[in-house]
Amino acid sequence: MSIMFPSLSFFQALQNTMRQEEARFRRLGFIDTTFGVHVLGPHGQEWRYLLAFEVFDCREVSEVRDFDLTATDFVLQGDLAAWTEMLTNIQRNKGADVEHSLNTLTHFGERLQMIYDDPDNRDKFFRFQESIQQFFDLTHTLELEFPPSVSRQTATAV
Amino acid sequence: MAYLSTIDFFEDKNFLDRWKRNLKGDLDLSWMQAKTEKIAVTPENPRRGLTFRDLDKGTYGFTNQPEFERRNRSFAPRGAELPEGLPDVQAEVSQKGEVWAYNTEGYYEEAMTRQWNATLDVPWHDLAKTELPDEISRAYAQLLTFLTEVEMIATDVPAEWMGKLNNNFTEVKNFMATQVMDEARHAEVFRKRALTTGYGLMKASPQNEISLKQIRDADSFAEMSLSLHLIGEGFVLTLFRFSEYISPTEADKKMFRLVMQDEARHVGYGVQHLKWVMRHFPEKREVIHKHLEEAENMLFGGGNALEVTEPFIILAGKGLKKENIEQGAKITAMFQLKQMEEYFERLDKCGLGERRKTSKLHRAMELTRASLQEAGVIA
Repeated sequence: MSIMFPSLSFFQALQNTMRQEEARFRRLGFIDTTFGVHVLGPHGQEWRYLLAFEVFDCREVSEVRDFDLTATDFVLQGDLAAWTEMLTNIQRNKGADVEHSLNTLTHFGERLQMIYDDPDNRDKFFRFQESIQQFFDLTHTLELEFPPSVSRQTATAV
Repeated sequence: MAYLSTIDFFEDKNFLDRWKRNLKGDLDLSWMQAKTEKIAVTPENPRRGLTFRDLDKGTYGFTNQPEFERRNRSFAPRGAELPEGLPDVQAEVSQKGEVWAYNTEGYYEEAMTRQWNATLDVPWHDLAKTELPDEISRAYAQLLTFLTEVEMIATDVPAEWMGKLNNNFTEVKNFMATQVMDEARHAEVFRKRALTTGYGLMKASPQNEISLKQIRDADSFAEMSLSLHLIGEGFVLTLFRFSEYISPTEADKKMFRLVMQDEARHVGYGVQHLKWVMRHFPEKREVIHKHLEEAENMLFGGGNALEVTEPFIILAGKGLKKENIEQGAKITAMFQLKQMEEYFERLDKCGLGERRKTSKLHRAMELTRASLQEAGVIA
């Protein structure tokens, strides 16, 4: 059954898949961070999700109205097209290719931006980089559906 | 042999008598009455296991550790009974504030679970799938030479300081040990990657090595930590992220993601150490500024050495043609601006925001920003 992105179900599916892949994530080590994902739609829509990781697990995913940057390490923000392109690329390659890793997309803020209050909390994105990348790479195990207008745009971009 | 035992045990009658009685099963057992604290210890979170934080109790803990470690001058572990006759190992640092950082114990546990293996965790066999142009390979081999050079000193420095710290600084010493392993692994992985380019190692960088020598020769642990953890590794963390950004293959991306994790942890320790110092010893502010002045000077020179910046320009622009160089120079300037911005952001959070007004490096940052704005690269 396909899952819509963006949706809470998408992140719940990644959370469940991470649990099933416990040995792989245990090998990568502790991951203790809470961060946000902010998706900006083409017509002013906004989706905000909060992902809380603890020890080896994604402990909680939730949809939120706003981000409290004093309680959230960082927020990954980008328009729907950028997120869709990244996820489609991960599906196609069974993991992000050289143009679509999270670090590459956020480094200069060209496609995704990092919003944060404290640079020390922001640095958790780098401290847990491989775990976060592999968490998003689990997308390749899911059947995804995107809003129709975005699907058309990304089909040529990826 | 500089240090001799005060007793010749093979000739000492008391010792030999005790030894013989022991062989016959006549035990002394006085150690069973050690005057130490008996506590109950359990993991707070079973998934996380038994951590140093779980041991933070009574005389075994770090929270109630005195600022000055006057009693234990030996190898005795913190919390053990200290009988007469322990040697004075002459630790150079016995003040907690000189070495402690918020969350030291957490960084240690994180480091232990996030260790990786340069031989096995990088998909080396995938490298053969991508053939890189000659100039890209040469530039990449030069970058990897520079990184190997940097990581070798980053291995030596914490290793040298570990033995100088009072043995009651258990968590700090253990964290330093993980850093030594991390940096040794970085030197290993960059050396291996350099040799897989087919061009081997390229040219060492005198300008950069002068900067590295300053870190090695720091007068105090606090100076060393500022130079290594906060400045050096802070800049190298941004450099690793940039290197991931411009990496030509997925194997290289993975390599830089793995080294990035370790580096960010070391920077975290440095930031939390400086925060600790600024909160508990505000009188050190001027000394810190003085040290930062010279450290920034060294960094500016080392970071802008030709052997460092030119490979970046070629790698970022993806070639040696005029248009590649122009593009690469812009991207590299953006990266350097980012390095400096992130450094000053960290100083702000440590309570040293006034550095923006006095630092020559800050002026260099503003010049870089203005130049990029003039070229229309950034708003």
